[in-house]
Amino acid sequence: MSTIKVNKIENTSTTDGGISIDNAGHVQIDGQQLPTAGALSHRNLVMNGAMQVAQRTTSATGVTTTGYKSVDRFKANISAMGTYTISQSTDAPDGFSNSLKYEVTTADASPAASDQVAAEYRVEAQDLQHLNYGSSSAKSLTLSFWVKSDVTGTYSNEFMQADNSSKHYSFSYTINTADTWEHKTVTVEGDTSGVINNDFGEGLLIKWWLGAGSNFTSGTYSTGSWAARTAANAVSSSSPNFASTVGNEWYITGVQLEVGSVATPFEHRSFGEELARCYRYFQKSYSYGTAVGANTTDGRYYFLIGTTSDAANKGGSVYLGTNMRVAPTTNFYNDAGTQGVIQIPASTVTPLLLKTGVIAIYVGNTTSREVAGAWTADAEF
Amino acid sequence: MELNYKLTAEDGFVQRLTDKAFIPFDVGNVDYQEYLDWLEEGNTPQPADS
Repeated sequence: MSTIKVNKIENTSTTDGGISIDNAGHVQIDGQQLPTAGALSHRNLVMNGAMQVAQRTTSATGVTTTGYKSVDRFKANISAMGTYTISQSTDAPDGFSNSLKYEVTTADASPAASDQVAAEYRVEAQDLQHLNYGSSSAKSLTLSFWVKSDVTGTYSNEFMQADNSSKHYSFSYTINTADTWEHKTVTVEGDTSGVINNDFGEGLLIKWWLGAGSNFTSGTYSTGSWAARTAANAVSSSSPNFASTVGNEWYITGVQLEVGSVATPFEHRSFGEELARCYRYFQKSYSYGTAVGANTTDGRYYFLIGTTSDAANKGGSVYLGTNMRVAPTTNFYNDAGTQGVIQIPASTVTPLLLKTGVIAIYVGNTTSREVAGAWTADAEF
Repeated sequence: MELNYKLTAEDGFVQRLTDKAFIPFDVGNVDYQEYLDWLEEGNTPQPADS
């Protein structure tokens, strides 16, 4: 067999486009990088990476605690370090419509030792088995994302493996220019000694640090290899404190994690496809655009539509739209958005079943012909 | 906000009183894991309504 050795193939009349082959043998066609490993489709291991889906609310104000606040699948990790508005923003780079935005509303310029603020994403373990982690054939991963902030500097970040005592891989990115969208990539070598369990638990955690106290900055920060994690080594002491000033903003979108050693163009998926994927982790009875807990009849779900007003024990069930990751934590709301009660009858409920595919409740002895109220089901990490 | 829990009339669930959410006893549920940690610290949930 013959081999043609060439770095680039072009049309005879132009130097634009064509096929380029770099020294590692990776191929670009008309400037677009091709994958170096894995499939051509379904490459992105991150759900909702374009921040299209925000089931809970598009804007959460006064955020001071950890949780899923706005866009689906991205968790805020906040411990006593400032107050934020966390939202689904329409400020985005070309080719995107949304981003996840943190805005400081109460600053913390001098964090205590254990304080922290970060954004996190978790990949389910069974979705990572093709990486062959824990074997000699462990595959590299490449993370790419768009980011923008008015706080410039070099930020610390981590990958962590929950199945291996939070073994971590630190990486940094730099905001070079304030208030300007910048595209960042990092390639993570495959971990040949850390097995990711084939289950529905947390496989990989990606953590974008935005601020940290000395418990996380006092050690030796080292990037570029998998290592046992010590909290003190998690963040560089020179990493910016995003929480330092009211009004500071940090945006992220276009988050893509893929097998291989190069970042390929973002794999845009339809809104419907991303929403369907997010249902594995969070579902609600409200219409998509209605925030959870809103003062509205919109979320009202009829567990039972009866024909008799005779006093009797009544209840009902919900067959969930898709099987969830685990049996979900479930909450109920009346029309006013009060947690823990339903609208008809105006009472508390008792769960009978909270399973990955079904929720069932009863309300006891009631003359109400219907049993109705809003609900949420949460199976996030 | 300090965590506190209450047992329910049916076995297999506990109610988190801070937000009134019901947590199933599923080892993969992170809220259940948090409840187990809370128990390990020596705390006791409130009894179910009789």
